[in-house]
Amino acid sequence: MQFDVVPYDLVQGVSTWLKVMLACGVLVLIASFAASLGFGLRGPAKVFWQLVGAVKDISELSARRIWALAMLTAREAIRRKALLVFGVFALLFMFGSWFLSTPGEKADIQIQRHVVFVFTAISWLVLPVVLMLACWGIPEDIKARSMHTVVTKPVRRIEIVLGRMLGFSMIATLIVAVMSVAGYIWIDRQVTKDAHAQLLCKVPIYGKLSFLDRQGQPATAGINVGDVWTFRSYIEGSTKATAIWDFDRLSDASLMPISSKEQGETRGLRVQTSFESFRTHKGVINSGLLCQLTLVNPKTNLRVPLPAFEVAEYRGDANVTAIPASPTYYDSEARKNKTVDLVKDLIADGQLRIEARCLNGEQFLGMARPDMFIRTPDRPFAVGFFKAVGGVWLQALVVVMIGVAASCFLKGPVATLMTFCVLIVGMSFRGLIDKIVSGDQLGGGPTESIYRMVTHLNQTVDLDLSGTVTKTIKGSDWVAQQGIWLVQQTFPNFQYFGMSPYVAKGFDVDFRAAIIPSIAVALAYFVPCVLLGYFALKLRELESK
Amino acid sequence: MNNLSSRQRKLIYLVVIILLVIPIIWLGRPTSGTGSEMDQGKLAQLRVRYDLGENQMGQVDPTSAAMNLVLLGFRGIAADLLWAQADENEQTKNWAELRANVDAIILLQPHFVRVWQFQGWNLAYNVSAAWDLVADRFYWVKEGAKFLKKGRAINEKIAQLPYEEGRVLGTKIGRADEWKFYRAFFKKDPNEELFKGGADPELNPKGTDNYLAAKDVYLVANDLQQKYPQSVSMLDVLFRSYPYRSQINYADALQREGHFDESSQTAWEESYREWVEKFGQEKFYGPAGSYHLEMTERDMQEAAEGQNADVDEYTRWVLRMQNETRYPYWKFRSQAESAKLMVDAHRLIYDGERQFVKGNLSTARDLLFRGMTLYEQLFSKYQVLATDDEALEEAITAVYYWQRILKLEFKPIQAQYPLSVVYANHANLLPQIESRFKRETGQD
Repeated sequence: MQFDVVPYDLVQGVSTWLKVMLACGVLVLIASFAASLGFGLRGPAKVFWQLVGAVKDISELSARRIWALAMLTAREAIRRKALLVFGVFALLFMFGSWFLSTPGEKADIQIQRHVVFVFTAISWLVLPVVLMLACWGIPEDIKARSMHTVVTKPVRRIEIVLGRMLGFSMIATLIVAVMSVAGYIWIDRQVTKDAHAQLLCKVPIYGKLSFLDRQGQPATAGINVGDVWTFRSYIEGSTKATAIWDFDRLSDASLMPISSKEQGETRGLRVQTSFESFRTHKGVINSGLLCQLTLVNPKTNLRVPLPAFEVAEYRGDANVTAIPASPTYYDSEARKNKTVDLVKDLIADGQLRIEARCLNGEQFLGMARPDMFIRTPDRPFAVGFFKAVGGVWLQALVVVMIGVAASCFLKGPVATLMTFCVLIVGMSFRGLIDKIVSGDQLGGGPTESIYRMVTHLNQTVDLDLSGTVTKTIKGSDWVAQQGIWLVQQTFPNFQYFGMSPYVAKGFDVDFRAAIIPSIAVALAYFVPCVLLGYFALKLRELESK
Repeated sequence: MNNLSSRQRKLIYLVVIILLVIPIIWLGRPTSGTGSEMDQGKLAQLRVRYDLGENQMGQVDPTSAAMNLVLLGFRGIAADLLWAQADENEQTKNWAELRANVDAIILLQPHFVRVWQFQGWNLAYNVSAAWDLVADRFYWVKEGAKFLKKGRAINEKIAQLPYEEGRVLGTKIGRADEWKFYRAFFKKDPNEELFKGGADPELNPKGTDNYLAAKDVYLVANDLQQKYPQSVSMLDVLFRSYPYRSQINYADALQREGHFDESSQTAWEESYREWVEKFGQEKFYGPAGSYHLEMTERDMQEAAEGQNADVDEYTRWVLRMQNETRYPYWKFRSQAESAKLMVDAHRLIYDGERQFVKGNLSTARDLLFRGMTLYEQLFSKYQVLATDDEALEEAITAVYYWQRILKLEFKPIQAQYPLSVVYANHANLLPQIESRFKRETGQD
C-alpha cells in the first residue's frame, strides 16, 4: 500500500459533528432572532413559531408521501434522459481496451490500470449527472410552476426535500449499480489469464511500527535517504537498526492453512512485506537485498529468527513469509535447533512482535507501517470491488444532498456552480487546505503569498521586512487561516470515498479506515442538508423565479 | 426595434448564412484524395503542401484524435495536469498510474516530439533505476524503448525518435552496470511464461543482439534524416555515425563476454568494412564544401581545389570532423581488433580474470601476466592505443587483478613488470576499476 491505513476515530468524528452542528445552530438562531427584530416584537415570535412548525413537520413525516415524491422525481429524471449516460459509459468500455492493454505488461500494473479506469469512468459519469439533476430539479419546478401544484397538496416542504433527495439517490443507485456490474465483468474479461490469479482482495492485519537506530536505541523513525517522498524511512543493513511491528488481537483462530517450505501444508501465519531497497553501492546486482524477520514474544522476549529472504521490491505478493504453527529455528546460544509453538510461546495476550533487519552492509531497507501485515485468508475480488463501488455511491448521495439543498435557495446555474465547487474542493484541494490551515504550506497565508508574488520573493526565503510589518502580515494571515479552517470543516472530505486504491493494489477495502468514515460523512451531511433545504424552501417566495 | 417582418428577417439570416458558408467551404473543404488542388479546400492544400496533416506525420491514432477533439481548446490544461500527476506518481512510486498518465499525455500531444523523448528516457533510465531487481529494471528499460517505438510510428518523419530508441537498445542495454543480464534478457526475456524463453517480439522480433537491433533502428534514423532534411540534436556527421558505431559496439561486446572466436573476428571485420566503406564514403557538407571522412590530406587538397575552396579551411574542417567522430581511431581499432595479437591479449586477460573468480590463482596469475606482456607489445606497436580509454582500462584491470593475486599469495610486486609504466601513468582509473572488481568478484 502506498498510503497508511489509519482507522477512523468515530467518537471524535461524532463529537466534532455535534459541536459544529450546535455552533451553526446557535449562530443561525441568533442571526434569525436578530434579523426578525426588524418586524418588531412579533418577529422573534414568528421565528419561534417557524421552529415549532418545523418540529411539527418533522414529527408528522409521511413515508408514503416521500416515496410518492421520490418516484415522481425519479420518473422526471428519466424523462430528462439521465439514463443516456449509459450510452457514454458503453462507448468508453467498448474502446477502453484500445489504449489500456499493453502486451507483456506486469500483472499488477495491468490490474491497477483497469481498476483505476473503471472507477474513474464511473465517478466521472455518475457525479456530473446527479449533480445536474439535483441542482436543476427544484429550480425548474419552480420556474415551470409545477412546484406550485405540489405545495398545494397535503405535502410538507421537508417531504419535498426528502423526496427529491430519495428520488435522485435512486437514480444514482441505478446508474452506479449497472455501471459497477458492467465494470466488474469488463475487468474480469479484459485482464489477461496470467494476471487473473492476482484479482483478489488481501485482508491485512496491520501492526504498530517503531524503530531502533543503528546503535539499537529507540528512534522515532528510520533514516531519511534523501527520497523526496517521506512515506517510508530506512534502516541500515548489518547494524542494530531494526523496524519493529507490534501486532495485537492474535490467537489460535488467526492461524490459517499455509504452505511452508519446511513443513509443507500446515497451519500458521502469512506475513507479507513490501519493503523498498536503497543501495549505496551496487552490491550483488542480480540479487535483492537480504532481510531477516525475527518473531519476538513481547512478554518473555523469546526470539525466533526466521530464514532471511531477498526483498523483491514493488512485487507485492512476492514477499510472503509463511510462519508455521510450530516454527523451528537455530538457537545460537544453545547451539541447536529448537521448535516452539507459535501461539503458546510467541503470542502473549494476543500480542506478537515482528522485527525486521537488513543484512547487507551499507545498504538500506525502507519501510512504513503498512509495509508489513499479517495476511488473513483472501477474499474474492468482487468483495473489495463492490465495497469500493459503495464509496462512489455514497459520494453520489452526498452530491445529491448538497445539490438539492443548494437548489432550494439558489437558481439552477448557481446551485450547480456551488455544488461543483464543494465537490472539487472536497476532492482535490483537501491536502492544500490542510497545509494552509496547519501552517505547513510554504510561502505563508494569502497576504504573505501576495507579497511574495509581487516582489518575486522565493517561498523558502525569510520575509525581508521590518518586524512590525512581518507581524502584521502574519497576523492577517492568521485571521484568514481561521476562516479557511471554518471552510475546511464545512466542506465534506470526499477523499474518504475514494476506495479504488485499495482494490487497485489488491486489498480489501478497510472497514474502519474507509467504509465507516464514508458512511459517517454521508450521514453527517444528511441532517444539515435536509434542514437547510427545508427552511430555504419554506421561507422562499415561490413566485420569485 | 425595426420594421422588418419575420419573413424578411429570415431571408436576411439565410443570406448571411450563405455568405458565411462560402469562405468556410473555400477554407475548410476536406481533401479529396485525388491530389488535385481544385478538389480540396485552402487549408487542406496548405496541409498537404507543408506536410502538416495528421496522416502525413505518421499513423493516426483514433483515440488520440477523438480525445483532442472532445477537449476542444483545453488540451494544454489537461496535458499540464497529467504531467503534474505523472511527476507525483513517479515521486510516490505509483508506477501503474505513472504509465497510464504518460500514455494519456501522448494521446493529447502525439506529435510533440520532446514528450516522447523525455518520457521514453524517463521510463528507460529513471524509472528502471528506481527498481531493485534486474529483471524488473529490464522491464522498464523495455517500456522506455517500446514507448519510443510507438512514438516513431506516430511521427514517421522524425529522425530523433528512432535515434533515441537506438540509444536505449544499444547504450542502455549494452552499457548499464547490469549489461551482462540485460544483453542476455534481450535475447531471452526473463518473463519466460509470456515469451516462452524467447525475446520480447515487440522489441526484438529477430531475437538478435541488442547492438544489432540498435543498429537497425539507427539506420532508420539515418534514412529519415536523409529523406526529410531536419535538425537533429548533434552534428550530422556524428548522428549518422551511430549505426556503424553500433556494429563496433556489437563486436566489442562479444569480446567483453569472452567470445574470441570467429564470431567476434567476423564482427570486427564487418565493423571495419562498414566504417570505411559505408560511413567513410558518406557525403557531408561543411562550410568549405562537400567532403567524406575516408580522406587523406592529399584527397582533401584535391577535393578543395575541385570545389574552388580554400585548401587550409577545407582540410581543417574535414580533420575536425574526423576528430569529432574519432574516425581514424575506430578505423584503426576495428582493423587491429581482428589481428591475432590483439585477440590473444584479450583472451588471456579475460580467461585470467575468470580463473581468479574461480579461485585458481596460479593459473590466473600466469594468464594475466601473459596477457599483460602481449598488451605491452600492442602499446608499443600501436601508439594510438595510449589514448584509448577502453584499452587502458582493460590493461590496468589486468594489472590490478595480477597484483591482487600476488598480495593473496604473499608475493612481492617487482618494480618493473609488463605495463608498469602504463599503470603508473593512469592511476586515476583505479577507483572505477576497484569498484568493478568489487562488483564482479564480490571481494573488497
